[in-house]
Amino acid sequence: MASPAAPATRKETWKEKLRRSLRGEGGVVGQERWLGVLLILPALVLLTAFFLVPLVMVGWMSLHNWPLLGRPRFIGLRNYATMLTDTGFWHALWFSAKYTIVVTIAIFAVAFPLAFFVERPRPFVGFFRTAFFLPVVLGLGSASLLWVWLSNVDFGLFSPALMKLGLIDRPVSWLMQPTSAFISIIVMVVWKASGTSIVLLLTGLQAIPPELKEAASIDGARGWQRFRYITFPLIRRTFALALILSVTHSVLAFDQFYIITAGGPDNSMLSAVYWIMNTSFVSFKLGYGAALSIALLALLVLLSIVQLYLLRTKEGQ
Amino acid sequence: MKRRTFLGAAMSAPMLSTAAWSQEPLSMWARSDVANVIRPFVDTFNAKGKTQIKLDIVVAREMVQKYAAAAAARSAPDFLLLDLIYTPAFASADQLQDLSPWTKEMPYFESLSPAHRKLGELDGKLYGLPFSAEGSVLVYNKKLFREAGLDPEKPPKNWGEITDAAVKIRALGGDRYGYYVPGAGAAAFRFLPVVWANGGEVLSADGKKATIDSPQLREAIGFYRDLWAKKVMPESVVADTGPDALTGFAAGRVGMTITGAFAIGVLTTRYPDVEFGVTPIPGKNGGFASFAGGDNIVVSRGTRRLPAIREFVDFAYSLEGQSLLGKYGSLPVRGDIAAAALKENDPRYLTVAEAVNKGGRTPRSSVYNDLFNSLNGPWVTLHQRAIFGNDVDGAIAQAQATFQRIINEAN
Amino acid sequence: MAASRRSPFALDFAQQCLGFVIAALFLAPLAWTALSSLKPAAEAALPPLPPWPSRITYETYQSLDGFGSGLVTHTANSLFVALGTVGLSGVVSLLAGYGFSRFHFPLKNVIFVLIISTMMIPYQSLLTPLFLILSWIGLSNSLVGLVLVYATLQLPFSVFMMRNAFEAVPREIDEAARIDGCGGVRILTRIMFPLVAPGIITVSIFAFLASWNEFLAALILLTDNKLFTLPILVTAVRSGQFGTVDWGAVQAGVTLMMMPCLLLFLLLQRYYMRGLTAGAVK
Repeated sequence: MASPAAPATRKETWKEKLRRSLRGEGGVVGQERWLGVLLILPALVLLTAFFLVPLVMVGWMSLHNWPLLGRPRFIGLRNYATMLTDTGFWHALWFSAKYTIVVTIAIFAVAFPLAFFVERPRPFVGFFRTAFFLPVVLGLGSASLLWVWLSNVDFGLFSPALMKLGLIDRPVSWLMQPTSAFISIIVMVVWKASGTSIVLLLTGLQAIPPELKEAASIDGARGWQRFRYITFPLIRRTFALALILSVTHSVLAFDQFYIITAGGPDNSMLSAVYWIMNTSFVSFKLGYGAALSIALLALLVLLSIVQLYLLRTKEGQ
Repeated sequence: MKRRTFLGAAMSAPMLSTAAWSQEPLSMWARSDVANVIRPFVDTFNAKGKTQIKLDIVVAREMVQKYAAAAAARSAPDFLLLDLIYTPAFASADQLQDLSPWTKEMPYFESLSPAHRKLGELDGKLYGLPFSAEGSVLVYNKKLFREAGLDPEKPPKNWGEITDAAVKIRALGGDRYGYYVPGAGAAAFRFLPVVWANGGEVLSADGKKATIDSPQLREAIGFYRDLWAKKVMPESVVADTGPDALTGFAAGRVGMTITGAFAIGVLTTRYPDVEFGVTPIPGKNGGFASFAGGDNIVVSRGTRRLPAIREFVDFAYSLEGQSLLGKYGSLPVRGDIAAAALKENDPRYLTVAEAVNKGGRTPRSSVYNDLFNSLNGPWVTLHQRAIFGNDVDGAIAQAQATFQRIINEAN
Repeated sequence: MAASRRSPFALDFAQQCLGFVIAALFLAPLAWTALSSLKPAAEAALPPLPPWPSRITYETYQSLDGFGSGLVTHTANSLFVALGTVGLSGVVSLLAGYGFSRFHFPLKNVIFVLIISTMMIPYQSLLTPLFLILSWIGLSNSLVGLVLVYATLQLPFSVFMMRNAFEAVPREIDEAARIDGCGGVRILTRIMFPLVAPGIITVSIFAFLASWNEFLAALILLTDNKLFTLPILVTAVRSGQFGTVDWGAVQAGVTLMMMPCLLLFLLLQRYYMRGLTAGAVK
């Protein structure tokens, strides 16, 4: 692992691969090489026109004072300097971080037991799998609208139902206090999104060879130990995927805060994307909004790399 | 030779194009809030058979970005009805046509709504002409007043009377509440007049200085805190960003709320059972104020359809045009013929029109959206934190600092 | 079998019951809104207790129809956008998947990784330039423009899926066809297409769900009310008109938006799951 030769070897293979790919080796007739390029061309055109060009434009805009109305003015890196002292943005980032951590833990706290639950053969297992997964196919917008209604203190479900059950003696509006509103949104997202993690973890669990499980139980490994030393290492890959998906979605969360509480109560739920949207489309500072987007984007790429590194699977496992 | 062609072209072009233009309809935008008024208004105008207008309704809160994007793509409409508070931002961004030459031909110009004209001015030019007016007033449920032992023909004239009436109505019990204002949004239209009526001021005259921290504003907040502490407002106010502003009142469960002329139409047509009165928003010891809202007619810089647009403007300022506004639930902008224009209307419209004419104001700022409109902006935050939270001083200090920072950044 | 599989009957039974309770919690909000949407308008404005309607009506759908340009228009807009995205991203990713799987050309792997890595970039940050670009090519404020954007957003996943689908087809099959004298394109249309059909179904489901449900880009990129898709329409309903919210219409809208998603998923669950777990297995 730590031998000095290792990096060099790896580099060479990579170079070789690149060279081979450049030469277009692979045993197919030379003229068909162009057919290959032709086949991927539509995809490249779309991605260039509607992804790469906008991306470059965002970078370019971030170097300008670019009002929504009026003429843009080049200001170099000043937007990035402004960012350093923009407490609102840092608050929003902090909120997104907090939200990401809480919601990810909550999702896995629900998804792990349920994944184990639906992995074992039992009556109605197909029904259970479908039920747990069904909310995932809803749009986040639909789910948020649904939640706004259910949480409405006067016309919704939660507060009137608890009143009828006699659990509370007067209407309670969960969206009123920052903490309860936060919890309410977490519950919504867990309901809406844990299905994805359940299915991914389930796939991982199903891929574990039965002999291994049996061997473990013969060895007398129990509960947590078995999970920690046998199950978890084996589902590391799927766990990593579920984790990255959950983290990415959470860092970019916007719809639920916008639709359910409009960033409130008391501005307590302004996420990073929300802040960028406000900067661009409420304050009309497109240039600064672009700079914030670039920062968020860099952060996200970094996060994914860190996660992949931490959860990398060693060869042969 | 070359020169003659050039001259010839220059002379014939306008004539030719006028002919061509009269075929092609004028493009016009208006925000969704005023769709009920502007649709029939444009239909009536088009029915005259001269210039035709193609009207697009744009969702109110997306008006600015959509216009900006359209302008960038050179597909901006010839003219639009712009929420008047945006006029300074559009004018200072160099998007609009100076309309001051027209005003000399308008003998009634001085009688047009002052708040609209003030917001249309920039550096001695006029970029917006008033189209329709709106104003905030206090509405109260006469039935609940009677039930609570109050005189339904004597609306509250000061804060003490509001509190008193609200407590009495709440005492009726059940789900009946004395007062309602959305806590988390729409706070400029509803709360600024409370401060103004108390002699308070939140911006300096030139819009460069925030003057949030004043005894008058503190008193206004104290007034609302007291209402909240006395539990005369339902819990749901805290989370309401505006969608439910009228829900309770329309259901006959709320004694008083602050709203605008639009609500008169909504209540009379959709909730005919609610028996309500309209009165100006009073100050602590009397007096009153109103948030003057409404739309300005603004013209995209570079349009070549000025004469056609002028036709529309003249129609809008005719008695017929002004009466149409009243007919469809908005308020006329010509003070000199307002009473005549509202002759056919529910008399409660006139109460609003007078509240606006005598006590109507609008903050003038090119960062209005940031300061007052944004649900996450300092004004809404102040409203929410200071009235429903525990740290009044902190909320005021923070609002003052945020206001000033946003203003400074814009200059 | 393993010890853990031989848990006592009581424990199994308790687990099973708990499972049903949790499943009910997951399904309840969906059922609640669908049932409430069938209530008479006056009833739909009250707390949904009990959830079932006293009599079944379509009043909430009628009042939703009163918003914007009517339900037919907005549903048609949503369908056009969703099916357009399915078609465009399907064809483009089919070609690209074939290209990446069976052909060799310069920088192939680099390009493939680049395409996949665009998944990491939040498209939310690209909306402003996207609007400008669509304006330049005359497609701002049009459903076709929206389809182009959605199809592009869908591409990284679709291309990845389609390449996998082609990789799963043994090379002997196209080699045999080649020997028979088939060219690249004919191999694709005649021989490969049926073999990668499951992959096409998978990418189509994902494209449909994503574009049918998308909210933010449609909000920013469409100006004309007549072009609004369902999520934008229902959000506008929820923002209140005349100072009150028509909750019945909101329920009708949510139900209308979720039904096609649920149906599609229930009918084609297998293909959907394949897509979801593709990354996990590969």
